[in-house]
Amino acid sequence: MASDSSPINTRDGQSSPDGWPTSPISNTVSSPGDRPRRKRGRQSSYATPSPMPADSRVRTPQATPTPSSNARRRARARRSSATPTSTDDVPPSSDVGEGNEDDAPVVYVWGTNISVQDVNAAILRFLRHFREDPQQIEGKYMRMINHVIEMEGDSLDVDAHDVYDYDSDLYTKMVRYPLEVLAIFDMVLMDMVGRINPLFEKHIQARIFNLKSSISMRNLNPSDVEKMISLKGMIIRCSSVIPEIREAVFRCLVCGYYSDPVVVERGRINEPTVCAKQECLSRNSMTLVHNRCRFADKQVVRVQETPDDIPDGGTPHTVTLLMHDKLVDAGKPGDRVEVTGIYRAMSVRVGQTQRTVKSIFKTYIDCLHLKTTDKSRMDVQDPMETENEASTGDDDSTQKSEISVEQLKELSKQPDIYERLTRSLAPNIWELDDVKRGLLCQLFGGNALKLPSGASFRGDINILLVGDPGTSKSQLLQYIHKLSPRGIYTSGRGSSAVGLTAYVAKDPETGETVLESGALVLSDKGICCIDEFDKMSDNARSMLHEVMEQQTVSIAKAGIIASLNARTSVLACANPIGSRYNPRLSVIENIHLPPTLMSRFDLIYLILDKADEETDRRLAKHIVALHFENPNSSQLDVIDLPTLTAYINYARKHIHPQLSDEATEELTRGYVEMRRRGNFPGSSKKVITATPRQIESLIRLSEGLARIRFSEVVNKSDVIEAFRLLEVAMQQSATDHSTGTIDMDLITTGVSASERMRRENLVSATRSLIMDKLTIGGSSARVMELLEELKKQNLGGGAEVHLSDLRTALSTLSAEGFLAVHGDSVKRI
Amino acid sequence: MVGLPYDCLANPLGAVRSTFDKAMSSDSSTAALDGKDWGASEVFRQFLFDDGGLSQVPLLNSSTMKWVQPNTLVRFRGMIQDMLGNEFYVGAYKDGDKWITNKFADASHDPSNASSDMRIWERQLLYCTPVPGQNSWVECTPDAMRNPYISAISPLREKRQREDEAIKSDVDMVEPGYAIEDSPNLKKMRENGVAFEPFNLQKVVTEGSASNSSTPHVERDSVSCLVKIYDSPESDLKLNEVFEFVGIFTFDPDLTIPIDDKEVMDDFCEDELLCLPPSKVPRLHCVVHRKLGASDLVSSPHLELTTPVIKEIREALIGHLTAILGHDRLAAEYILLHLLSRVHARVDEVAVGKLSLNLTCFNKENMSVLGNNLKLVIGSLMPFTECLPLTVDYLNSVTLTPKKDYITNRLVSGLLQLAEGSHLTIDETPLQSGTLNSGGLENAQVLRSMMESQKVHYDFTYYKMEMPADVQFLILSEGKSNILPADLVLPFHPSSVDSASGVDGEMLKAWRWYLATMKSLPHSIDPPLQKAVEDDLVAARQEDRSLSREDFSRWLTMGRLMSVSFGATSLSMEHWQMVKELERLRKIRFQGNL
Repeated sequence: MASDSSPINTRDGQSSPDGWPTSPISNTVSSPGDRPRRKRGRQSSYATPSPMPADSRVRTPQATPTPSSNARRRARARRSSATPTSTDDVPPSSDVGEGNEDDAPVVYVWGTNISVQDVNAAILRFLRHFREDPQQIEGKYMRMINHVIEMEGDSLDVDAHDVYDYDSDLYTKMVRYPLEVLAIFDMVLMDMVGRINPLFEKHIQARIFNLKSSISMRNLNPSDVEKMISLKGMIIRCSSVIPEIREAVFRCLVCGYYSDPVVVERGRINEPTVCAKQECLSRNSMTLVHNRCRFADKQVVRVQETPDDIPDGGTPHTVTLLMHDKLVDAGKPGDRVEVTGIYRAMSVRVGQTQRTVKSIFKTYIDCLHLKTTDKSRMDVQDPMETENEASTGDDDSTQKSEISVEQLKELSKQPDIYERLTRSLAPNIWELDDVKRGLLCQLFGGNALKLPSGASFRGDINILLVGDPGTSKSQLLQYIHKLSPRGIYTSGRGSSAVGLTAYVAKDPETGETVLESGALVLSDKGICCIDEFDKMSDNARSMLHEVMEQQTVSIAKAGIIASLNARTSVLACANPIGSRYNPRLSVIENIHLPPTLMSRFDLIYLILDKADEETDRRLAKHIVALHFENPNSSQLDVIDLPTLTAYINYARKHIHPQLSDEATEELTRGYVEMRRRGNFPGSSKKVITATPRQIESLIRLSEGLARIRFSEVVNKSDVIEAFRLLEVAMQQSATDHSTGTIDMDLITTGVSASERMRRENLVSATRSLIMDKLTIGGSSARVMELLEELKKQNLGGGAEVHLSDLRTALSTLSAEGFLAVHGDSVKRI
Repeated sequence: MVGLPYDCLANPLGAVRSTFDKAMSSDSSTAALDGKDWGASEVFRQFLFDDGGLSQVPLLNSSTMKWVQPNTLVRFRGMIQDMLGNEFYVGAYKDGDKWITNKFADASHDPSNASSDMRIWERQLLYCTPVPGQNSWVECTPDAMRNPYISAISPLREKRQREDEAIKSDVDMVEPGYAIEDSPNLKKMRENGVAFEPFNLQKVVTEGSASNSSTPHVERDSVSCLVKIYDSPESDLKLNEVFEFVGIFTFDPDLTIPIDDKEVMDDFCEDELLCLPPSKVPRLHCVVHRKLGASDLVSSPHLELTTPVIKEIREALIGHLTAILGHDRLAAEYILLHLLSRVHARVDEVAVGKLSLNLTCFNKENMSVLGNNLKLVIGSLMPFTECLPLTVDYLNSVTLTPKKDYITNRLVSGLLQLAEGSHLTIDETPLQSGTLNSGGLENAQVLRSMMESQKVHYDFTYYKMEMPADVQFLILSEGKSNILPADLVLPFHPSSVDSASGVDGEMLKAWRWYLATMKSLPHSIDPPLQKAVEDDLVAARQEDRSLSREDFSRWLTMGRLMSVSFGATSLSMEHWQMVKELERLRKIRFQGNL
């Protein structure tokens, strides 16, 4: 027995043979042990709590170089079968605190009025009787213990909340004196296990987790030393697994006698100087036998504060964790974890050989439990996602952890969530509510679909904003860029679409420098915001064709064609030609974009500057206020940016709405309706008001709308709203100004049906005019003269005939071989 | 107060102890002193500020480091480059019946004879470096700071001791990882040292200084310091802020002994301080610290703050800038506004008050003269200036953002870790076409985002952390820079290229003071004028629809800076008109350029 208590005594430098006095008491408290072997083990570890605080709490540092009390306890348990020998070379000296215990019937935790027996009983009660649900016959932990025994596990996870609920006093004691209480806890556990299955050899440790309150790393202070704490952080470094010696066995070189296992004391092993065998007793003959020593795994892990805990202008704090046994490799760098452990401080010795210590302490956490905050939940099955997540920085997942899913769900239940989100989107930009709604749909996106046949339908919504300068298009773009999961913001002038690198280009004439970056690939699974879309080079634009429908980018380099994923939504904005939008011309004419590309945008918004003095004034006021007042412009009832981001990310990852039957019906009905609008009764004119592309757009939009509500089902109302959004956009961009109807030809070909009709009329009028005026091979006529003539005739349905129109007509005729145009003169062939 | 029983300057620890004893005698519980000051800092404050002791405190730099005594009071000016977290130490322990404090000291103690009673306190560790880009004139005149100990009773002996230490550290530097105690070299030197000390030492010292001077300019004065802060709320001290620390300089040879015991966590290089040997990085136990604003760094020229004086200085400065800029007065006006700009508010993502300037139309010829002159002038006016030649190779190779090195657990400084109010000149003229790799791309993006939002994203490997910055950007380029779009683009039209005339020191001082003082002036706008400005903006927009909120924002910033440049604290119509006139002239230049 003396040997059993020795590790405890010698550890603290002030030895006290407390193994003796406490043993009878332990017998009275715990159930009478019928197996002497066990009993001894129990007694010794039972005695631990009392001497421990003497050194650890008050003179902590130098006394606790071996931090894991768990491990020590285990070591003792194993050792219990060994026969007591003279390895204990510590002279017994009586400690004041312990001396009293000889005759005291109650054992107190040193320096407190916590009775060991009370705690013991409380733990026993808790383990036996705690039930989550009163109906359960067997206690929660009894079940778990049985389970652990079955699984031959070595630890029992104990929810601190359960402890608190059952016995708040025990919880308080546990948190304040973890070393002592946990030692008792393990004791009780061992005792119980021993009773359930006497043959169960393993030692079971209690792992406490889920404390009532967790502390921020920043607020750890000296008063927390030796307390049980829990904190959140991110693992930044893990050491390799260190085998730590726990028990050493020595062999005498002279006689071959194996010593008893020597337990680590204060971080070192005392090598016996004399062979213990009575017959031998040779000096300095003992050598370490490696393969009979016992080692335990140890790992040093550094944990850093999570970004959201860091105050302005601070750098993250770090703390060191010590992990043992099963906890080794429980987390890897980059994981967000919640750690429960005992905060400890250890003094630093000046030198290995010196006893002098610095006045500084190293602090670390002796880890009891490590929980990786559910990261997988946020991950998509897509390997690409996780890969990129690391490189682009975890900003969004960072914020997500703070804003709980419950909160988001709560938010989604609000009836006016759609309106609220619209309001919260770029609150600094007024009006443009329908544009914002469209952008919102883009942010949430539709469902991407991949058919088994290999055909895939994109879920990304592409939006084009066309409008006058100074209508805060760029601001909207910037805002979306900030909000979107993986946005790239680029200017059309500097986009090379492909390539992961960028190119610095210099205009040879003006010396202007431009950065060309490969935006599209970089924004895979995000939103690619392209400003000044109209100024994009043709080359880059042609790339967009592929991106916007097939969602891939092909790069041909060195004979290899690589197809890269570019599953991106495109949000582009363009300025009209001649800087101001000309309402007389169509969208296509206003911005110089090929119609093929235009048709790939789901929504095209025209943002026109209405030269409204009121808006100007509001802008002026706002900016003046920004500069001169202490701007705390409080926007009421607006969802803040992090929440919004979290909301969108959550929806994008977890909500995959399906069309309901009702919605499908509405979709078909609406589409037919739209198509029908193009047929004017009694007119041969066929206007296409909707194309199959629109159906796809509508589906995407309504899916996006359902996502906004966190709904797994697309409702009829979503479809109706999608129709409305589409129509609003189309009304602005695809309206034929001469007839006032929606004409998809405008977008798909750039020419409206009525325009085409008008052109045909003009061509025939010109033809007949030339037929009249000119003879084959005869004199030539000037274009201006023809224009005058035509104007006089007033052809083309009353509309003014423009020189450009005439020129188009003439070129059509010359292509027919009807006439030849040389500069300004027209000649009939 | 009549004569203190201790010398705050030479024996600050004595002051600490005596105040501690006094506090203990009045209230004998040490627990009450946990995390509190017992009046020691009050004593020092009184000594430093009320009794004018501050000027007697030597400023720590590479030259003074040679003779400053350990455990004396020193000053250190620097930027907080990294925060190393908190450190727990034995704040007070009982020796026999008497409590002894360890505050402001690094003492070690023997656990065997220490009684069981002690208090653990904490202190904050800051790693401070000289402010990046600090111009030489900012340093206090070092001559006034000659060694006060030279006239002490046994000056030679003391000095030698220090030199001895200096050599020690030199040797330490030469042979890193070599334990001083075990270094045979040193042992030999010591043995011989008794006899040949004077010669031997002299030689080593000169050698040492020679090698020192060969190191680049920046290195010469760069003394970094590990500052230990006591009893100060964390929010007081922020990364990248410039502070003056007054504290007790310690040099404890005990701590230089490399700890080679493979104890629990040393394979981890757990102790960050190991990477900062005290021989290279002195420790400073800070007693008093104060934040240095722009005006604290320049010496006041003893001028009265009256409008005519300010106007006069402004006129002279504009004249000087005009001369430097080849008689381009418009550019001079803009430069002045630019130099006065600072971020005074942040709303959402917008940093209000910044005014980055892009001077275009530089070419190789005038760059070498005018550009360099401009850089020199800015260097002589602003306390912290940095230049960055932008080339593709440079962008590809350099790391601009600070990065956390998890192996040493330190923040590795990048070029863009700049103190508040720094000035950064980016010379884009050498930039040629070329391909940027991913690092270069990142650098370009970092520069751009820093310019646009005055924020730098520090790289913490697993995430980026946004750090607010306040840096003035001046870009010199051939054509408009689209890589770094500045708030203001001004075609530069020098009429002559002549090297500027010299300026006398008094004038420079006045200008520095002017810039620093005006920059920090508060500013407001009166409601009637606010209305007028709003009307102006609305009218301008009715006329020219292409005006965006950026333009408005710029005008208002300029309006503010313009009136500030005249020492006014509120915007007046006159200044507003001046801004409009400047913008009109600028616009004309653009038209002329096309």
